[in-house]
Amino acid sequence: MTEPYDLAVLGGGPGGYVAALRAAQLGARAVLIERDWVGGTCLNIGCIPTKALTTSTELLLKSRRAHEFGLAISTAAPDLPALMEYKRGSVDTLVGGVEHLLKRAGVTLLRGTGHLSAPDTLRVQPDAGDAISVSAGRVILAPGSITARPPIPGLDLPGVITSTEALDIPDVPARLIVVGGGVIGLEFACIYEALGSQVTILEMMPTLLPGATDEVVAQRLAILLRRRGMGVVTGAHVEQIVSSGDGLAVTHRDAKGVLSRVEGDRVLVATGRWPNTEGLGLAEVGVKMNGRAIAVDEHLATSVPNVRAVGDAVGGMMLAHKAMVDGRVAAENACGGSRTVDYRSVPNVIFTRPEVASVGLTEAQARQRGADVKVAQFPFSANPRARILGETDGLVKLVCEVGSGVVLGVHLMGPHVTDLIAEGALAVQLGATADDLAWTTHAHPTLPEAMLEAALGFRDATIHFQRR
Amino acid sequence: MPDYLETTVDKFIFKVVTDRLYSPEGVWALADGDRIRVGMTDFLQQLNGDVAFAEVKPAGTTVAAGDEVATIETIKANVEVPSPVGGTVVEVNPAMELSPEAINQDPYGEGWLVVIDAPDWPKDREALLDPQAYFELMKGQAEDEAKKL
Repeated sequence: MTEPYDLAVLGGGPGGYVAALRAAQLGARAVLIERDWVGGTCLNIGCIPTKALTTSTELLLKSRRAHEFGLAISTAAPDLPALMEYKRGSVDTLVGGVEHLLKRAGVTLLRGTGHLSAPDTLRVQPDAGDAISVSAGRVILAPGSITARPPIPGLDLPGVITSTEALDIPDVPARLIVVGGGVIGLEFACIYEALGSQVTILEMMPTLLPGATDEVVAQRLAILLRRRGMGVVTGAHVEQIVSSGDGLAVTHRDAKGVLSRVEGDRVLVATGRWPNTEGLGLAEVGVKMNGRAIAVDEHLATSVPNVRAVGDAVGGMMLAHKAMVDGRVAAENACGGSRTVDYRSVPNVIFTRPEVASVGLTEAQARQRGADVKVAQFPFSANPRARILGETDGLVKLVCEVGSGVVLGVHLMGPHVTDLIAEGALAVQLGATADDLAWTTHAHPTLPEAMLEAALGFRDATIHFQRR
Repeated sequence: MPDYLETTVDKFIFKVVTDRLYSPEGVWALADGDRIRVGMTDFLQQLNGDVAFAEVKPAGTTVAAGDEVATIETIKANVEVPSPVGGTVVEVNPAMELSPEAINQDPYGEGWLVVIDAPDWPKDREALLDPQAYFELMKGQAEDEAKKL
């Protein structure tokens, strides 16, 4: 048994390490238990390595358009070993950064697999040696999530991969089938497409990115992907994956029951993630569950006193930045605070080509809640900076309340919108109006001007686009 | 292309085909019985520039004459296309999703938008212009636009 800590955090991903750092700032003696690498899914097998790959592939495609920008670049081609090295380097640097922060903050990093053996005790099995018990006055559970395994026959066939394996690209498959048209599936679809794969996406719901953005944006993205030659099949219920010659085939059924078959060389199954809550001793100490997720209240308290939970493990939006907010809330509450979670301004960002980003309510959600809504839209084709960048596909869509003009939702597709959404998040958080956005001077010539122009549309006063 | 009238305004050439009727807003109606094919005129498409997206009302939609039957997003403008007839959309041009530039390339042919089943066609057609009348109206509209250049 170690000396009692003030706080033990189980899981070193974005929720867990942020909780440990915040608690340390507040003077707590904190221990962070992590079985693999700090940074969790996000840093090691999620957000960060995929962003390294999207960065490289976007540069690759832009280089091939060099002549449009008055440059002579004769060959632009992927160098897969070097690409993997760049990706690894990006991850290693950031993991090292988090380790450094933990060290400087005085957080004890304990490597091993832990579970709750009592409400105030974690049993930890290190990689080598005997298991130890860690006691702490407060516990924050941050075990994250695991790749969902849908009940599709054929998942174990060679060549059927998850997002984790898709990050390692020893060779580029000629034909890639992506099962799941959500955030993960679409980001990989765009990465492999850029590297040269013929990609087919099979999504069960009627639109891509179900629940992640506004319907108009999802429809437009599907059209843009199809125009590039990607296969995009929505309303596709996948039945099974089978071997077919040297490759694989996926059979799927549409809403009318008609069976189709797609042939491919690799199949990426990206059908979401599940809370990672098995084997943590939760039932044994009486932690109430909400399905696979740990049930928490608005202060992130579980049903067991002094045990809190954060991030993907509590279900809802499985996003690193949401987990980080959870981590700060749980840490402050573990240190005597009484903060409430506030998810109004959690943005969704999707690094497709073009990028997609959303915050707040979609038009359909706002109408379902009975809001009287006015939509204001502006296309990036009318934005000077987008034209200079040669990236004019996309739009800004604001969902505003009639009368007050309060911005209920912001939905973007286009260049760098994963950055631009920060303004939308601030607007939603502050309850800003379309007039607030329209009378905030936006620098010229920049992409955020598209936000201003869309906001002007609330009063039918858009300057740089006509309505006929 | 069927027979057409042609005029040059400033440096632009505008054509009006003679086998169909027109609304003053620049929307054509080509009748096959009471199934009316609908599209944008050459003048309307040139006025608004390259089409990026065409959002057409789906089959089954009921429209009155003058109701919006499609929204065309071009690099310059959002164009709401009013239906020249009342009725039910029975067919949508499948090319509109992936290659809406057909509107620019062939406004009177491949760039059609919808087919509307129009039970009151004999009455609706009375409100439309014959090719010569539209041609004269359009010339005036084109000259007005040219003054803005």
